Amino acid sequence: MKNKNNAYHPISPEIEELARAHEYQPEAALEVLKEIQTRHSTLTTEAITDTARALKLPPHQLYGMATFYSMLSLEERKKVLRVCDGPVCWLKRSSKGSDQSSVISNWSSMVDGQWSVERTSCLGLCDRAPAVLVEDEQAGPVEIGDAKKVCKGWRGVPTEYSKVRKGETRVMTALIGKIDPDSIDDALANDVYSGLKSALQKESIAVLSEVESSGLQGRGGAGFPVGRKWRFVASEKRTPRYIICNADESEPLIFKDRVLMDTNPHQLIEGMTIAGYACGASEAWIYIRGEYESQARRLENAITQAKEKNLLGAKILGTEFSFQIHVHRGAGAYICGEETALIESLEGKRGEPRLRPPYPPTSGFRGQPTAVNNVESFCAVPHIMKNGADWWRNLTGASTPGTKMYMVLGHVKNPGLFEAPFGLTLREIIKKFGGGMQTGSKFKFALCGGAAGTIVDKNMLDIPIDFASSQKGISLGAGSFLICDQSVSPVAFLRELLHFFAAESCGKCTPCRVGTWRSLEILDRMAAGKGQKGDTDELKTLAALMQDSSFCGLGQSVPIPMNSVITHFGAEFAKVEN
Amino acid sequence: MLNIKINGQSIQAEAGKTVLQVAKEHDVHVPTLCYHKDLNPTGNCRMCIVEVKGGRFLQAACVTPIWEGMEIETSSEKVMKDRKLTLELMLANHPVDCMTCDVAGECELQDLAYEYKAEVPAWGAKGTRYKADSDPNPFIRVDMNKCILCRRCESACAEIQGRNVWGVAKRGFDETMVTGAGVPMLEARCESCGQCVAYCPTGALSNKMNYGMARAHQVKKVTTTCSYCGVGCQFDLLVKNNKVIGVSSNPNAPVNGMALCVKGRYAYDYIHHPERVKKPHVRRYLLEGNAKPIVNRKSEIQNPKWDWVETEWDVALDIVAKKFGELRKDFGADSIGLLTSAKCTNEENYLMNKLARQVVGTNNIDHCARL
Repeated sequence: MKNKNNAYHPISPEIEELARAHEYQPEAALEVLKEIQTRHSTLTTEAITDTARALKLPPHQLYGMATFYSMLSLEERKKVLRVCDGPVCWLKRSSKGSDQSSVISNWSSMVDGQWSVERTSCLGLCDRAPAVLVEDEQAGPVEIGDAKKVCKGWRGVPTEYSKVRKGETRVMTALIGKIDPDSIDDALANDVYSGLKSALQKESIAVLSEVESSGLQGRGGAGFPVGRKWRFVASEKRTPRYIICNADESEPLIFKDRVLMDTNPHQLIEGMTIAGYACGASEAWIYIRGEYESQARRLENAITQAKEKNLLGAKILGTEFSFQIHVHRGAGAYICGEETALIESLEGKRGEPRLRPPYPPTSGFRGQPTAVNNVESFCAVPHIMKNGADWWRNLTGASTPGTKMYMVLGHVKNPGLFEAPFGLTLREIIKKFGGGMQTGSKFKFALCGGAAGTIVDKNMLDIPIDFASSQKGISLGAGSFLICDQSVSPVAFLRELLHFFAAESCGKCTPCRVGTWRSLEILDRMAAGKGQKGDTDELKTLAALMQDSSFCGLGQSVPIPMNSVITHFGAEFAKVEN
Repeated sequence: MLNIKINGQSIQAEAGKTVLQVAKEHDVHVPTLCYHKDLNPTGNCRMCIVEVKGGRFLQAACVTPIWEGMEIETSSEKVMKDRKLTLELMLANHPVDCMTCDVAGECELQDLAYEYKAEVPAWGAKGTRYKADSDPNPFIRVDMNKCILCRRCESACAEIQGRNVWGVAKRGFDETMVTGAGVPMLEARCESCGQCVAYCPTGALSNKMNYGMARAHQVKKVTTTCSYCGVGCQFDLLVKNNKVIGVSSNPNAPVNGMALCVKGRYAYDYIHHPERVKKPHVRRYLLEGNAKPIVNRKSEIQNPKWDWVETEWDVALDIVAKKFGELRKDFGADSIGLLTSAKCTNEENYLMNKLARQVVGTNNIDHCARL
């Protein structure tokens, strides 16, 4: 059988050139695909196949990536405007009476033909909701009426965080507004990198012990002790060891890492370098979500500056310790916040979670020992180095050491971000930090932690929240609290969350792949008031399945909001069952 | 050795083994779907989930290593309920066409649905999402509606055949298996070995040549050795009404396991071909004991003495033996050379070598493996 498509043809010179620029590293697959898409507004079959040939990868792997990451597309799009479909933006729009389902078509009708408008899962701009991403520039708050302005370059108003709220304990956010984030001289003048300097004067094992005894817990949501994770990595005999910063902040409601990177990128670099020293690592990656392009550039700039000052690179500050940090951009996939999926993505594959064990400290990036930590975790480290573990432990009166970044959103007077001790109650978060409920608003429920957090009613307002409080039914997660008033239907709200999870499920395992989709189908009709008898029970059954049987944390945590909202607002669900 | 408990029974098992391996060794049934003993386990389908005491979640037996003191329940109520529901989620988007499906009877999904009494839910896409028979490959029939995304095809293609044709595209509910960069199989470097078909647990990938001809219980399986080359792969010929209608992998084949090449798996239609040569053919002049006629290429076909005539083995071999004897007597043993075939078995080739060296007395022995 003659197959003319299999006839040899040379790899397109442009792709060959791109591949050579990346030294033909298979890990560069995502970068190369993104670059081709930027140049040609699309990814064609030929381009994907040629890239695969140049990087010596199977074409299906690159096609799998091109169709996996939401920022890559097989269709031609000149300029892309991504409208945030996250729950906070939904809340903002629906409180103004606009219907979420018609948002995309409304935007499309407002912009001229060269723009492609598409939905995107939460952009991490919850403090600027409703938000859009214009090409790679973040914009918000923008209403549909602003469409023309947005196309001309207007980007809304960024939220200002330099003003300290009453009751805040600022450590990681102390320099917000006081330094120019793009200037290392400013940072150095304000004592950034002094934590690194004091760390480098100690033995690496002493640095490790210091972090361990500080009791710092991972800030990504699970609260795993940072020091213990580093100890696992450091005690692995194999080298090289790697440090990865998880800046793929894609969970709806969460934007703390963006603010941290935006306001003080050097703090993160310092923290990662200390981690590298403690773990005996020589190289690190910041995996930042593709939607945070400006933050990625800011980090790259900070890295360059730090290298010039010998705070990064070879033989840092005259010691024998050398350390490199690279910035790697994702391309739109919530699941890449799961650490093994992140590593897969970093290795130039589809971001699907790996089997565990082995865990990343044993076998992570390139199969080597790897410490994966959240941005906020790294940002806390310099302060521990500078002031000591005891200082960190005694910083606040709370049982969990240190401070935490909180986000309060929704129907409060003063939404935004603040830094405070652990153990706040929801009432404190709303009243003390959020300025109380908006006029005319009465507290109905709150989503605590993040999209995969607990939904609680007013009976839980006074439970102190920390990593352990999820046992009591209220979770801290990554520290975000979306407060909803009487106007919000818990059924419609849950529908928004499932809409997100169904869109972001990687599809690897059956319970999550079909379970999220089916739950959304049920919630769609329930939210439209057309539920059927037994719908709530089916949701519960699906939730139980996903929780018990899913492959990774995504599927296992989808049921948390499902179960908690049905527990507290079962009557509202029953009401829409006809 | 580690001490573990499966369903209350104390068991000593080797460290490094998975729960599934130990369960199998002790005849404890754990259902599997994406797992296959020949392939690296992926833990996708979640059928082999078991309850481990103290664990927050159910664990996939195929990928969970055992540890000291582990207590496993393989068929607790929770486990059975979840397995059944997982199956129902698969069935919701699977066509309900077992009545007409080619693989009914050997379909692992069907067997599990039967075992767990899984109902086909009223909701779901029910096989309306993809075009049936969507690939022009002449041997392999693709129907993605029946795919349950176990990814065995991807593993088989990568790990056994090393061609990396199959892969996964899209995500979430839209996830689907693709070949190459979303191109037809043959354009994606497929060499039609059919490994993906052999490992597919459902009818998503089936054989095109005998599609609709017979189901598993309607055929007799005859284990045989492939006649195409000397590797000696074994497989089962599928025989219906005394006719070979297909080939299927025999998992117990000692040389090749489930693997076959395109010739072994699909080039079986010569068996009943009307032009197949089944008996030795000899030129008529030899059969009649006449002298070799003077022929040239043009007259060759017209000269009846030059015709091929079907005869019996004894007759043909007698002629060969006689001719060899004469040639050896007149010109010496080295005037004779023997060329055997790569399609013969190793044993046959060995015997041919003996014939050349010990009977004929020449070292002029070779075979045609100049592929």
